[in-house]
Amino acid sequence: MQRNKLKKFGILSVSLIAALLAGVLSPVAQAAPKNQARAVVQADWLEKNLTDPNVKIIEVSTEDGLYERGHIKNAIRFNWYTDFVDPVNRDIVSRVNFQKFVQKAGINSDSIVVLYGDKNNWFAAWGAWIFNIYGAKDVRILDGGRVKWEKDGRPLTTEVPAPKGGNFVSSAADNTLRAFLIRDVLPVAKKRSKVSLVDIRSADEFNGKIFAAAGFQELAIRAGHIPGAQNIPWGLNVNADGTFKTVPELKKLYADKGITGSNPIITYCRIGERAALTWFVLSEILGYDVKLYDGSWTEYGNTVGVPIVNNAGTIWGSS
Amino acid sequence: MGIIIIPSNLNISSGLITQTATDGFIWNRAQKIRTAVALFIVVALIALAYFISADESIGSKGAISLLIGSALGIVFERGRFCFFCIFRDSIEDKNSTPFLGILMAIAVGSAGYAIVFGQFLPDTSTDRLPPSAHIGPVSVALIVSGLVFGIGMTLSGACLSGHLYRIGQGSLRAIPALFGSLVGFGIGFKIWNSIYLGVIIESPTLWLPHFLGYGGAFLATLAVLGVLAFLLLKSGKNSTPLSESESHPISSGQLFRSFFITRWSPLITGAIVGVIGTFAYLRIEPLGVTRQLSTLSRTILDGRELLPEKIEGLDTLAGCIAVVSTVITNNGWLILGFVFASLAVALIGNRFAFQEITVRNGSTAFLGGVLLGLSSMIALGCTVGVLLTGTQSFAVSGWVFFLSVYLGTVVSIKFKLHKS
Repeated sequence: MQRNKLKKFGILSVSLIAALLAGVLSPVAQAAPKNQARAVVQADWLEKNLTDPNVKIIEVSTEDGLYERGHIKNAIRFNWYTDFVDPVNRDIVSRVNFQKFVQKAGINSDSIVVLYGDKNNWFAAWGAWIFNIYGAKDVRILDGGRVKWEKDGRPLTTEVPAPKGGNFVSSAADNTLRAFLIRDVLPVAKKRSKVSLVDIRSADEFNGKIFAAAGFQELAIRAGHIPGAQNIPWGLNVNADGTFKTVPELKKLYADKGITGSNPIITYCRIGERAALTWFVLSEILGYDVKLYDGSWTEYGNTVGVPIVNNAGTIWGSS
Repeated sequence: MGIIIIPSNLNISSGLITQTATDGFIWNRAQKIRTAVALFIVVALIALAYFISADESIGSKGAISLLIGSALGIVFERGRFCFFCIFRDSIEDKNSTPFLGILMAIAVGSAGYAIVFGQFLPDTSTDRLPPSAHIGPVSVALIVSGLVFGIGMTLSGACLSGHLYRIGQGSLRAIPALFGSLVGFGIGFKIWNSIYLGVIIESPTLWLPHFLGYGGAFLATLAVLGVLAFLLLKSGKNSTPLSESESHPISSGQLFRSFFITRWSPLITGAIVGVIGTFAYLRIEPLGVTRQLSTLSRTILDGRELLPEKIEGLDTLAGCIAVVSTVITNNGWLILGFVFASLAVALIGNRFAFQEITVRNGSTAFLGGVLLGLSSMIALGCTVGVLLTGTQSFAVSGWVFFLSVYLGTVVSIKFKLHKS
């Protein structure tokens, strides 16, 4: 008993000293985000560290010309549909190409990569997922993304940086972050594995009332969701200004639906991109064990012979 | 539109313009009212820009678009930057002086675009194109559209931007013409899929900097413009002087006269159009006047389920492309500014007059408008969006459209369609 206490005390003091030392010795570029998660940087911090050579900023916006007409100083543009996915096959970007793009952007193995973008960081989060898959050590997202930065009246520039090639070496794809239909998703649908499924689409898509949200193409021939999935629309992760909710708020949001992190989690959406934001929240902010199912509903809903739940009972092709 | 002869001995003193001659411009009660209305419009436009910039759903882009449109409206009205009139002058009257304005606009605009492009897309060796620039596929469909556009503007009396600024001058024919263009856009949407899948999808999108770099593309553009200027000077037997000689000492009255009364020199007008085009691209999007019109048409048809379920490829092409939208787009704000600013300067200069409209000229305006809408839908823009902005952007599509619109105009003037 006494020994145990001593041991505990010892561990505590060592960690305290380590923490203190880390505080003193840590580099200037250290984020102090409100979420106590290193993966979220605040705009104030980023603005102070714009010229830190160790901080590499990447904009992943979907609106054409947005980056070109003004971006955060020293930010490099990544195009989600050419730089983060395979432009021909339905797959993530290949390891070789990813390393090429990242090195060209001047990113080193020890760089702090900060991503931001339009539309609530959707595609920035997809980028963060890809960076994690290929072994980047320190990947962060700007809280509130581009919209908040602009609303705060922070400066933008049109100057495009011309970085020297970086030394980032891409590791083999970490498939523990990625869910595959046969290996990971079907066992859950058939209740053979204890994994929580999070469907981040709108309630109408989840319940099968519609095949795709307004303005999006109906790419799946079935409406509904994967059996066992919980519907937690992605928008619930963020505040009205696009910033992430706090850790306690996020924990409660998911715990209310029975997702506490005790089981592994799989997130999905329609084509896989929006679910990257929820992957980021659950994995990088809350520290849960999460996979992103990038095949998402457009793979699952189109697959022959897999079980689905369609509460609304809509049938494709019937008028 | 009557010709206003302004005496050179007009003076403005103590804020009042005094008139010493009896003809032409008179600072009378009517003029005071016109000026007051014009000032009211200007203040209203500025106030509107101020208020919409604070509106989150519109933002500064809407406000800047409104101001860019206003500037463009003033320049088009004051410099008579009407593509049809300019083409007709060179064809019918052998007066090629106004044409130099278009060449100047392309020259200045391409210099501006080269500078902005260099920033937006430093490396021209890849397949990438600068964002949202009006660089379109070069196809038979584009050539046919150009010819039809030329016929449409001859028949209706102006191109789409011409009709829009003429509203500000009280042109009543502009109304059936613009209404016709909405119908034309609708027909364009209906037939788009077959034209796109049959012709456009296989056509090359040719952009000069891919082959020549920005410097080479700019020099090539200047060379073509030089050759065109040479041909125009050769063919312009009745060309008017570039500007009247000003032998009087500068005075406030003279300044007023040069700004509001005398038509601006084509070279100055063209240069300002080129500068405005550069600013528009830098801050918002390339200049164009058809996007909001075709959006309106597409939204109306879409709401009534009169459109094909899927319009193939349209949203992936660069140009003045319609989206389905019930809110005013940036282009809509631009057009609003364009129309009202031209009205304001037309009022001050006493060029506002309701043009006579008959069943006959109203019908030709409508029919011409249909052709304008249809052809600019297929060409992805009109004389501003494809001809002007395209050539400024070093797009081969811009030059092809330029040539085919001109040919279409030549042929239809020969057939006297403008007098029908």
